[in-house]
Amino acid sequence: MNKTLLGFIKKELIQALRDPRMKYILFAAPIVEMTLFGVAISNEVKNIRLAAFFGANDYLVRDIYEHAIGGGWFIPARASGETAQDPFELVRSGDADAVLVPPEGGFTRALGRGDAQLQILVNATNVTQAQSVESYMKAIVAQTLADDLGLTPRPPPIKFDVRVLFNPSLDTAIFMVPGVMTMLMVLTTLILANIGIVREKEMGTFEMLISAPVSKSEVIFGKTLPYVLIGMTNLPLLLAIAMLVFHVPLRGSILALIAATVAFVCTTVAMGTLISTYCQNQQQASMASFLFMFPAIMFSGLIFPIENMPAAVQWLSFIDPLAHYLSLLRNIMLKGGGLQASAWHIGVLLILAAVSAAASFRRFRTTLS
Amino acid sequence: MSEPISISVAGVKKSFRAFQALHGVSAEFEAGRMHGIIGPEGSGKTTLLRIVLGLMRPDEGSISYREGGRDISFADLRPKISYMPQTQSLYPDLSVDEHLEFFRDLYGIAPPDYKRKREELLEVARLAEFVRRPAGQLSGGMYKKLGLICALLRSPRVMILDEPTTGVDPISRRELWTLLYRLLDEHILILATTAYMDEAERCSKVHLFEAGLLLASGEPRTLLQEQKARSFDELFLRRAALGGP
Repeated sequence: MNKTLLGFIKKELIQALRDPRMKYILFAAPIVEMTLFGVAISNEVKNIRLAAFFGANDYLVRDIYEHAIGGGWFIPARASGETAQDPFELVRSGDADAVLVPPEGGFTRALGRGDAQLQILVNATNVTQAQSVESYMKAIVAQTLADDLGLTPRPPPIKFDVRVLFNPSLDTAIFMVPGVMTMLMVLTTLILANIGIVREKEMGTFEMLISAPVSKSEVIFGKTLPYVLIGMTNLPLLLAIAMLVFHVPLRGSILALIAATVAFVCTTVAMGTLISTYCQNQQQASMASFLFMFPAIMFSGLIFPIENMPAAVQWLSFIDPLAHYLSLLRNIMLKGGGLQASAWHIGVLLILAAVSAAASFRRFRTTLS
Repeated sequence: MSEPISISVAGVKKSFRAFQALHGVSAEFEAGRMHGIIGPEGSGKTTLLRIVLGLMRPDEGSISYREGGRDISFADLRPKISYMPQTQSLYPDLSVDEHLEFFRDLYGIAPPDYKRKREELLEVARLAEFVRRPAGQLSGGMYKKLGLICALLRSPRVMILDEPTTGVDPISRRELWTLLYRLLDEHILILATTAYMDEAERCSKVHLFEAGLLLASGEPRTLLQEQKARSFDELFLRRAALGGP
C-alpha cells in the first residue's frame, strides 16, 4: 500500500488509541451500552399496575385479578380490593394503569343473570401499554371463566396453526439486540470519522495537510480508513455480548456477517465524511451527527416497522443504512441467511457508500476559502 | 543541480466578504534570498502567502512561478514547497518523534535520508532530548521549532513561513533564525512573514505591507535610508502616528 496512506493510518490510530477517554468511547462504551440497552429496551409491556374492585362474594373478579397478577404482566396497584374509591380517580392520579370495574351488585351475580359486563378502565396515555392491557385481559378472563365455571367460548370455525419461526419464545432480546448493535456501530463510526476530520480543521493542522504534496484521495482515505478498521473491531465485541449474554443465535454465515458489517461501516464512515465537509468545528460536527442519527434510527425499522410507514416516506428507509444493516443482522443472525440472501442489502449499502464517498470527494476542499 | 526558483505576484486582489485583504499587490520574490514580509497585524501578509501556496484563489491578478528562468505551473512546484502555517498546526497528542515519522510518510522520504535529516534537524533545533514529549507539552519556542523541522524534513526548494517567531522568547527566536540561515546556504527561496520589525533587518529583502498594500520592497538598509528612518519600528510607528497610508 501507498506509504503516505500507511503513515496517515498509523498516525490516526495512535491518536485514537492514546487518549484514555477515546479508548473508553471505542471499546468500553459499546460493551456497557450493549448490555444495558439489551436488558432495558423491550417492546414487551410488563409491570402494568392493575386495580380491581370486588365485593366479598364476587369471587370471579377476584380470581381474574389474581390470575392477572400471577401471570407476570400485571402488578398490584396500591389501592385495590374492597376499599371503595373512585376507579376513575385511581387512573387519573396515576396510582393504577388499569382498573377492573364490575357491574353493580358484582360480576359473579351479573354473569348468573346472563348479562355480564366487566368494565376495564385503561390509561391510554401510553398507547402501546393500553393495547397490551386489552389483549392480556381478554385472555385472562377467558382462562378464568374456563377454570372456574367450565365455560368455554364456542370454538371459531377456522383454526390457525401458528408456528413462530426463528424466535419461538418471542424473546424480545433476540429481536432488539441486533438493533442495539446497529445503533452502537453507527455511533462509533459516523461520529468518530466526522469529528476526526473536523478536528483537523479546527486545530489548524488541516492547513498543513492540504499544503503538503499529498493528493486529495490520500488525505480522504488516510482520514477514513482508520475508522473503518476501528468500527470493525466493534463487531466481535458486540457479537460476543449478543451471543453470550443475550443468547442471540448466529445461524447464518459468519462470512456474510463480516461482509455486511464492512459494507455498513464503509457507508457510515463515508456519510460521516460527507457531513464533516459541512462542519467547521467539533460542536457543529456532533450536532450534525445527531441530526443525522435520529431520523436514521427512526426510519431503520428498529422502533417502528417500516411497513407501517406511509409509502411517501418509506423511501427514506431505503436510503437509511441502518435499515439495511438491521435487516441484514436479523436475516443472518436469526434466519440463518447466507451471502446470497444478503446480497441485495449489501449491494444497496455499497451504492450508498459510493454515492456518499463521491459527494465527499466533490465537496472536500483542498483550499481554505 | 536543481535550478533556482522565483515567484512573482502581479496585481493580486483578495477580499473576504466586505473586507478587502489585498488591494492589488505586485511583488518579486527572487530565488536564493530570504524575503521578509513585514507589516502590522491585519495587513494581508497571511493572505498573500496562502495565495502563493495555492490554498486560496485571488479575486484578480496572477502568480507566476519560474524555475531557472522557465515558467512552471504550480502543480510542478507543489512537491518542492514547504509551508509552516501561523496557526498551531501540530497534533498536541503526538510526540516529537511521531510528528517526524508522520511527516516522513506524508512527504515520502526514503529511510536513509530520513535518518540523516532527523538527527541533523533535532540537533540544530536542540530537540533531541525531547523526542518522546507530546507537542502539546512543548514550550512555545520548542513547538515552533518542531513545526519548522517538520517542514524542513523534506529539503524544499521553496520555504514559506507564516510568523515563525510569533509568541517565542528572544533566545528561541534567534535559534529559529539560525535554522533559517542554514537553509539559505542551499540557495532556496524563503518567504517569511513577521510582525517583529527588528527581524526585518535579518532578511536580504523586505516587503513592507500595510492595510493590504505593498508600500515598498528592497534591501533593508536601502529601504530605511529611502524612508529616512533608523529602524523599521520607527518607520511603522511614524506611519501609524500619521494615521496610516
